[in-house]
Amino acid sequence: MPAISNKNNTLVYKGSSFMRQRLLLSVLSSKPVRIIDIRTNHDEPGIAEFEVNLIRLLDKVTNGTIIQLDSTGTNLYFQPGLLYGGEVDHECSLQRSIGYYLEVLVALGIFCKIPLKATLRGVSNNLIDPSVDHIKTSIIPVLKRFLIDDEGIDLKVTKRGMLPLGGGEVVFCCPVRKQLRPIQLEDSGMVKRIRGTAYTLRVSPAIANRVVESAKGVLLNFIPDVYINADQCKGKQSGKSPGFGIHLYAETTKGTTYSAEAVSKVIVGGAEPSIPEEVGKLAAQRLCHEIYMGGCVDSAAQALAILCMALGQKDVTKLVMGSLSDYSISFLQHLREFFGITFKLEDYKSEEDCVVGADKILLTCIGIGYTNISKRTI
Amino acid sequence: MSNNTNFEEKKKSHRERHSGRKADKKKVKKNGKSIQELTDQRRNPKAFAFNSVIGAERRFRRKQDIETKKQHVPFVDRTPIEPPPILIAVVGPPKVGKTTLINNLIKLFSKSPLLDIKGPVTIVTGKKRRITLIECNNDINSMIDLAKVADLALLLCDASFGFEMEIFEFLNICQIHGMPRIMGILTHLDMIKNSKTLKNTKKMLKHRFWTEVYPGAKLFYLSGLLHGEYLRNEIKNLGRFISIMKFRPLTWRMTHSYLLADRYEDLTNLESIRQNSKCDRHISIYGYVRGVPLNKNSSVHIAGFGDIKIHDISYLPDPCPLPETVKKRALIEKEKLIYAPFSGVGGIVYDKDAVYVELGGSHSHKKRDNDEANNIVTNLIETKEALDVKMQHSELQLFTGGKKLTADDISGDSSPYDSDAEDNIQEHSNITELNDDVGLNKELNKLRKDHTHTEIECDGRIRRKVIFNDSKMDTDNEEQFVEKDSSYSTTKTQNEIIHSKVSDILKSLEESNNKTSIVTSKTEQKELQQTDDRYVSEETDEELNNDDYLDNYESGDSDSETNENSDKTDAKTEESLSDSTDEDMALKWKENLRNRAQEAYLARLNTKKNIMRLVYGVFDNKIDNSDEQYDTNDSDEIGGLFKVVSHQQQKLKIERYGMDLEESSLLMPWSTDIQDFTEPENKWMIQDCFVTGKWKESEDANELLKLDATELSSDSDEFGDFEDLETGEKFTKGESNKDEHENNNEQSDQINKKQYDGEGTSYYDELKLSAEKQAQLNKSIFENMADDLRVQFEGYRPGMYVRMEFENVPSEFVTNFDPTYPIIIGSLNMSEENIGYVNVKIKKHRWYKKILKANDPLIISLGWRRFQTVPLYSKLEDDLKFRYLKYTPEHLSCNAHFWGPITPQGTGFLALQTCEGDLQEIVREPKVFKPLVIPKKLQHALPYRDKPNHGVKMAERRKKIDRVAVIKEPYEQKVSKVMKMIRTAYDHKQQHLRQKTKERLEKHRQMIQAVEANRSKKLKREKKKYLELKVKHK
Repeated sequence: MPAISNKNNTLVYKGSSFMRQRLLLSVLSSKPVRIIDIRTNHDEPGIAEFEVNLIRLLDKVTNGTIIQLDSTGTNLYFQPGLLYGGEVDHECSLQRSIGYYLEVLVALGIFCKIPLKATLRGVSNNLIDPSVDHIKTSIIPVLKRFLIDDEGIDLKVTKRGMLPLGGGEVVFCCPVRKQLRPIQLEDSGMVKRIRGTAYTLRVSPAIANRVVESAKGVLLNFIPDVYINADQCKGKQSGKSPGFGIHLYAETTKGTTYSAEAVSKVIVGGAEPSIPEEVGKLAAQRLCHEIYMGGCVDSAAQALAILCMALGQKDVTKLVMGSLSDYSISFLQHLREFFGITFKLEDYKSEEDCVVGADKILLTCIGIGYTNISKRTI
Repeated sequence: MSNNTNFEEKKKSHRERHSGRKADKKKVKKNGKSIQELTDQRRNPKAFAFNSVIGAERRFRRKQDIETKKQHVPFVDRTPIEPPPILIAVVGPPKVGKTTLINNLIKLFSKSPLLDIKGPVTIVTGKKRRITLIECNNDINSMIDLAKVADLALLLCDASFGFEMEIFEFLNICQIHGMPRIMGILTHLDMIKNSKTLKNTKKMLKHRFWTEVYPGAKLFYLSGLLHGEYLRNEIKNLGRFISIMKFRPLTWRMTHSYLLADRYEDLTNLESIRQNSKCDRHISIYGYVRGVPLNKNSSVHIAGFGDIKIHDISYLPDPCPLPETVKKRALIEKEKLIYAPFSGVGGIVYDKDAVYVELGGSHSHKKRDNDEANNIVTNLIETKEALDVKMQHSELQLFTGGKKLTADDISGDSSPYDSDAEDNIQEHSNITELNDDVGLNKELNKLRKDHTHTEIECDGRIRRKVIFNDSKMDTDNEEQFVEKDSSYSTTKTQNEIIHSKVSDILKSLEESNNKTSIVTSKTEQKELQQTDDRYVSEETDEELNNDDYLDNYESGDSDSETNENSDKTDAKTEESLSDSTDEDMALKWKENLRNRAQEAYLARLNTKKNIMRLVYGVFDNKIDNSDEQYDTNDSDEIGGLFKVVSHQQQKLKIERYGMDLEESSLLMPWSTDIQDFTEPENKWMIQDCFVTGKWKESEDANELLKLDATELSSDSDEFGDFEDLETGEKFTKGESNKDEHENNNEQSDQINKKQYDGEGTSYYDELKLSAEKQAQLNKSIFENMADDLRVQFEGYRPGMYVRMEFENVPSEFVTNFDPTYPIIIGSLNMSEENIGYVNVKIKKHRWYKKILKANDPLIISLGWRRFQTVPLYSKLEDDLKFRYLKYTPEHLSCNAHFWGPITPQGTGFLALQTCEGDLQEIVREPKVFKPLVIPKKLQHALPYRDKPNHGVKMAERRKKIDRVAVIKEPYEQKVSKVMKMIRTAYDHKQQHLRQKTKERLEKHRQMIQAVEANRSKKLKREKKKYLELKVKHK
């Protein structure tokens, strides 16, 4: 849904959907946003805890941000300051995983004034957000492609933590850069190997083997080079709640990675616990689906890739993606509102006319020439 | 004669030797590998062997040093294929000959001198080059603004006077804001008569100029005036220098787009101006985009005015285009175009929706018969038939041999719908006055029959606004553009008109129904909503829909087509009337129409299946507020105060707007049902995505091996005989193979050399190559796209002539408008429009006598902006704290902090204390002091000497005594006369005596000198004798 007004450089939105995108783009474009009617008709009206938490995180990495929230919590005014970075220690909300917050930092990190070193604590893997492994294996590599010098980007998972209590911790380090470089990627290559990690937290370590077994059962149909680690976390590293899961990623000959994952359900009341075999199979099938969708970036990394394309220099950037997720579509719409950039989207036809997997989309754009104005040049 | 030539032809021709010593020699010579041409190193390699390892290493290092020093960071060349005119600023103090120079340059390039130059003048100077000349008036603000945008500055200097302050001021401004190319020009050289002084002056000025710009900077000499003009040869030379000049891109201009306004219009409603002369204005500004592509959404800064959002922007056909086909010859006369709207030149001015033809005055068109521009207007005026009638007569043939369609056919088609519509409305309401559709049609017809031109009077000349065809035509035109990309168009004037009409009808319908029966109203509203929805779908789907309320929309469409056709035929007849060889600029607008229609068609083809619409379609379906009204009407009211909102309805609404959705970047965060890829029917879908699957033909190892094998076997076939079609040369197998072989050898040599020398694979070369590749891609990617689509993706690229509209411009901008002041519009990048605390490094200029004090206001020029602010000065101490400074240090730089626009780091900035200080003289009224009055009471208390009466006696003594004039008696007069005579005689005598004495003295002195000279001579002689004797003795 597009902004309902754009007066005095302030974009006004209705409803809480895509609030994270709006806030992220607001910080990057330094245009203030006003979000009204946040969940006015819900049983729990107003801004949610995890959103407040996100705003707090944004406040930590910026300097001079003005946040106004009315007493009902349904109207928010957010005027971003300058990106500062530095050492940030943040306790994430347990409603969303660390990935929800980390995605924002990955997009903002390189445009800070001083290098970012963020320690985020909370839920490392859940059902609805990309996990920290996912970000590490397929989102950060996308960012690296857009940097001339990608040294110093690092994501370390020091602790894992499952719902409901969390207890996970990651450390994200990101250098500052002046600008992004244009890339042209059309060929995603072919999957040459599959790797992954099965982790068990405060449950029997044998479960990991069962998960791996079933995942391999699916994947070995396609490629023999499958190797899945078993990560039996011990002591503090295993967080506060029991659970298990698996994260898989496929690497192609051209360096693209596709990720997929599955985690066990949270046991609430007398609910049936997840069966390890099913979790492993689900993850493997998801990975197959991801490979089927194809493209030069993972589906979860589409938004970041689109952002990096838009923020590039005034050069042509081309990228082939699998079908666009709803999130990416709304991201494209928001980019047009915040930066006035329109992408050229067309069905991708390779020269040899043999597109494998699903139909692909070729995104072409000319960047807006975004530069990091906070970075010291001397 | 012919016999003779025949005889000669029969002669035996020379037969070249093909073998033997001579042939070998020649062959060697031909290939350029003779022994004589070998380098020393090749002939005598031993002499160049290493003597010492250290020496070799040093030599190598030195070579590398020199090479690396030459390297610059490669940047992507973003100059467009058709660049904007080169902006040349003519700068200098007053009375130095700026206007004369501009006049002469214009005369050189276009042969039509301008009488009164105001603002920029654009001329075509060559096959690939246009220039815009602008004179910089003697104002520091103009200098600053022009230094930011000029590509080349011509610095004029009065040589008879020497450099003036303005020149150095301008040079210093340039150094700060990115140095444009600077060319010095010395004028008034004929004022220096002495040739030696002239030579010295030239030399002196040249060296001073070099120290300021760079050693070897070009300084031109314009030796004098002839008939009020500079010498033709010298101007020609200067023109040549200008037209071959190359420019290095500057950082600021490589990241910002900007334009220099060369035309401007006030679009404000005259009535609102009449009501309030100070009302905010609506203006449009025209100019060539420069720098980088201009984004429609970015806000801009107008120098001296402030930040403003672009209300609307559109590109126009180039008013001063380069010649279309580049031939080898020089420009012909009609290609030497000139465009200067502020000076009233350009003949025809194109606008978004009209063409302005300039006429000399109200009666001038009668005098000129053969004027092309006039012809068009008269053609338009003299049309006998109204356009409606023409349309009726015009025919359209869809297929060859098919039936010819006339406008009647089309209107006949649409008429049943019309009546249908009316019927429908009547069915719904039984109110006859609601036949608004008919009224609407009438209105449209009336609009169509309106005048073909309107007169606009401005600046004392009459401009006739030629409106395309009819007043609807322009909107129709627009609609064509809309049609082809309805997914992201913003203006749909006709649609909107009709839409509003329809909704009006609907509203009144609704009202009437509410009055008559409340029971039926609900169903009615549902229907209305439906129709509304259908309307929306029609808008997006672009398919012809048989909706009752929409046939107007369609008929409007078909109208537009017929209009277009009639227009085409018009254009054709026009062309046949005018001389076909003499293509005039005036006809281009018609060609444009045709081109546009063609482009629109092509673009329509492209948008069959569109992902773009899926993503960006949201922005076109403007959500009507009327929808919401219907929604609220639906709810039941309780006691007129509270509303019961049904939950489901709200939910629906929220879903429709997508208001409170959960957000996740995963493709399918909540779904678990994925097809099983291990099953055979699904397996094939992803099998080939793995390395174990089937590879692409170009990458498959087996295929590649096969390809190699075939290549080897058919090698001889592939390099068979062939004919070069371009040159007509025939190549036979043997020759080409040999050449190929040699070439291959050379290439491999080079490759080997490069590999061993470590060249070609260096990081720098890679960077350079990728930059070149990127530049190529940037140029080619949107090359074949229609301009109106292209601007969506890349913005308005440099070189485009655009028209920008601005709303809410203070009236002072219009009332104080002066075309001689440059209007610079610079775009602002992300976050440059924000204001914050800015830290800068600042140093007092060496010409400024005093030092700067904290909290004294300064006028700062930073980025595009000029603004006044209050800086604080500080010094960065060793402990990284800023120490406050009350005054800036005298010769050192310090930090300054002020509240201002946030600007990228490394941008130059400049501060002034006043803008007018050294340019306008300050007039000071003499201070009149009132006499000091001391009250009497105070006088009493004062000591005696301080009492005001105290000095009276002294003053009286000093007063002159008034003497009485005395008239003497006749005797006394005689006496005094005699006395006077005696005194005069005495005086004369004395003077004479004094003269005599002087002469005598002089004589005496000379005599003494002569004696002295004699004596010294004698002495010398004796000395000499003595010395000679001495030598002899020795």
